[in-house]
Amino acid sequence: MGKTLTIAPVSRLEGHAKVTIELDDDGNVADTFVNIVELRGFEKFCIGRPVEELPRIVTSICGVCPWSHHLASAKACDAVYGVEPAPAGRKLRELCNAIAYTEEHILHFFFLAGADFVMGPGADHKVRNVIGIAQAAPEIGKRVVRNRHLGSRMLNIVSGKSIHPVTAVPGGFSKPLTEHERETVLKMAEEVLEFSKWAIAWAKSDIFPKYLDAVKTVGVIKTGYMGTVRADGSMDLYDGKIRLMKPDGTYEDFSDKDYADHIEEKVLPWSYLKFPYAKKWGEGFSMDLDSPKGIYRTNTLARMNACDRLSTPLAQKELEAFREAFGRPCHLTLLYNWARLIELLYNAEYAVQLLKDPEITSRETRTPVSPRAGRGVGHVEAPRGTLFHDYETDAAGMVTNVNLIVGTTHNNAPINMAVKQAARTLIKSGKYDEALLNTVEMAIRAYDPCFSCATHNLDGRMAVKIDIVGPDREVRATLAT
Amino acid sequence: MQSHRDPAEERPEPEDLNEKEVLVIGCGNVLFGDDGFGPTFIKEYSARGGIPSGVGLLDAGTGVREVLFDLALGERRPKRIIVIDAIDVGRAAGEVFEVDLDGIPAKKADDFSMHQLPTSNLLRELRASCGVDIRIVAVQVESIPESMRAGLSGPVAAALPEVSAMVSALIAETIPAGV
Repeated sequence: MGKTLTIAPVSRLEGHAKVTIELDDDGNVADTFVNIVELRGFEKFCIGRPVEELPRIVTSICGVCPWSHHLASAKACDAVYGVEPAPAGRKLRELCNAIAYTEEHILHFFFLAGADFVMGPGADHKVRNVIGIAQAAPEIGKRVVRNRHLGSRMLNIVSGKSIHPVTAVPGGFSKPLTEHERETVLKMAEEVLEFSKWAIAWAKSDIFPKYLDAVKTVGVIKTGYMGTVRADGSMDLYDGKIRLMKPDGTYEDFSDKDYADHIEEKVLPWSYLKFPYAKKWGEGFSMDLDSPKGIYRTNTLARMNACDRLSTPLAQKELEAFREAFGRPCHLTLLYNWARLIELLYNAEYAVQLLKDPEITSRETRTPVSPRAGRGVGHVEAPRGTLFHDYETDAAGMVTNVNLIVGTTHNNAPINMAVKQAARTLIKSGKYDEALLNTVEMAIRAYDPCFSCATHNLDGRMAVKIDIVGPDREVRATLAT
Repeated sequence: MQSHRDPAEERPEPEDLNEKEVLVIGCGNVLFGDDGFGPTFIKEYSARGGIPSGVGLLDAGTGVREVLFDLALGERRPKRIIVIDAIDVGRAAGEVFEVDLDGIPAKKADDFSMHQLPTSNLLRELRASCGVDIRIVAVQVESIPESMRAGLSGPVAAALPEVSAMVSALIAETIPAGV
């Protein structure tokens, strides 16, 4: 009889996921499933509300990437109202996005995925975490925390709130930036830029070389990629055309409002979460490792692959070196982490650029809006992938329909494939240990997934559920930790 | 467009919560019924005014990770952190009680996960390694809806005054009156 291994939950993910690995009679991997608890009821919750409320509501969906939801929602409202934000309003939105990105990427690299690299996948889980890093390398820990804290302070100054922002409004930004605030934030942004330069240099010299063998094997899958680019092909995290790249590197660009012509969401009976795939490629959907169909990825590595260049000089230099080493498109899953540090540098540079733009302190941050019946699609590149908000309103501006595709959802199929690939590589003849299973987790964490649960218990009871599944697919036992 | 610099319009920099002596953190999701107790408490408690300057009130909502990791590893920390949360441990709906950090079993599930809740292991770390006194004030939920629905149930909403009194007492233990 086959055996089922379950890793649940995958610790240090945002939220919880259950990984089930089915072994065959020889102890080799027969199949794997990554199951995710999905947020439910958001669309219904929004219907009948004034659309301008949505940018404030969506930040409560989940505390993981509130700025991305806030901005995508504000952009969808702009489109519903048929307005372009005032230039200073747009720049303030972009500034907040760039700062939030630096916070997120520092968090992920040093606090989440970084622990695997700094402490090693074989380290006991009790020290394979940020506290372990802080104790093993206290000076690094201090720098990390200071720079994350700077991000939070910058967002507080620019927008008044860092956790549940409210300042992106239909037509722009509600709070102009004063000159004094600009000077204060610029000093902080320059410090974060220095940190970002150090972070990528340190990772390239002290961390990544130790894991190049794992990089070449763990979770490697050949897929397409999605990102957002400007008219000149350079990456943009706030606005632009969607670029959908095939595994061979050819691509098509399209407007976000046409996303449904290019992407479709597949429903599978064993998963709460849908599986978006590239409908436009006309090949259907398959997660077969040897012959995947319609599969694309989002998030950092996808954006590095999709764009032609980066618009900031230091990050562009890093991208050139990355492509020199790994090619374009690069399919090595663990390099999401390397790409994340390039994006950290890009955002740190871009924040400084924006803060040196005199227009950013203009008082004219909003374009007036009036309710109307309409449809609006807003998208941004969230840290975890392309985020779509699609709203429809009636003549009074009340919401009649809502659809969201969030970053992690795009990566649902690739995460499942990466886990299967990693498990097959690392588990042979029934032999596995903690380090091997942790490495499977690493393949997932590379995507920085956000599996946001709706509910929680202090003792984590809801989070930990293990199903033992027999070959007949019947649940033989359920364990809770 | 001209940039402007009018001293009369300059705003003070927002307070740094790490520098407060007591930090009260409300956790939970206001879009999921009773799960929104923590944020609702912070809103109501701050509206009543008279909060000592050494006390920080934070509606962390579902973003508590933004605070706790930085607190744990930061150079400055509050003396006491009071976590306000809604939980389900089978008591009567609306019952208010303190949760003993030591009474929560250590599990891998809780390992520094940056889920929506300050995980018990991280809170232990804050207490053990950082010398921060952690107090958890919880209210038993009536139910948590499976789909989004805002608003507290009657029994949980009725618990707000009792939690206010507990929090005021915990603050007074740390900060003398009038500071």
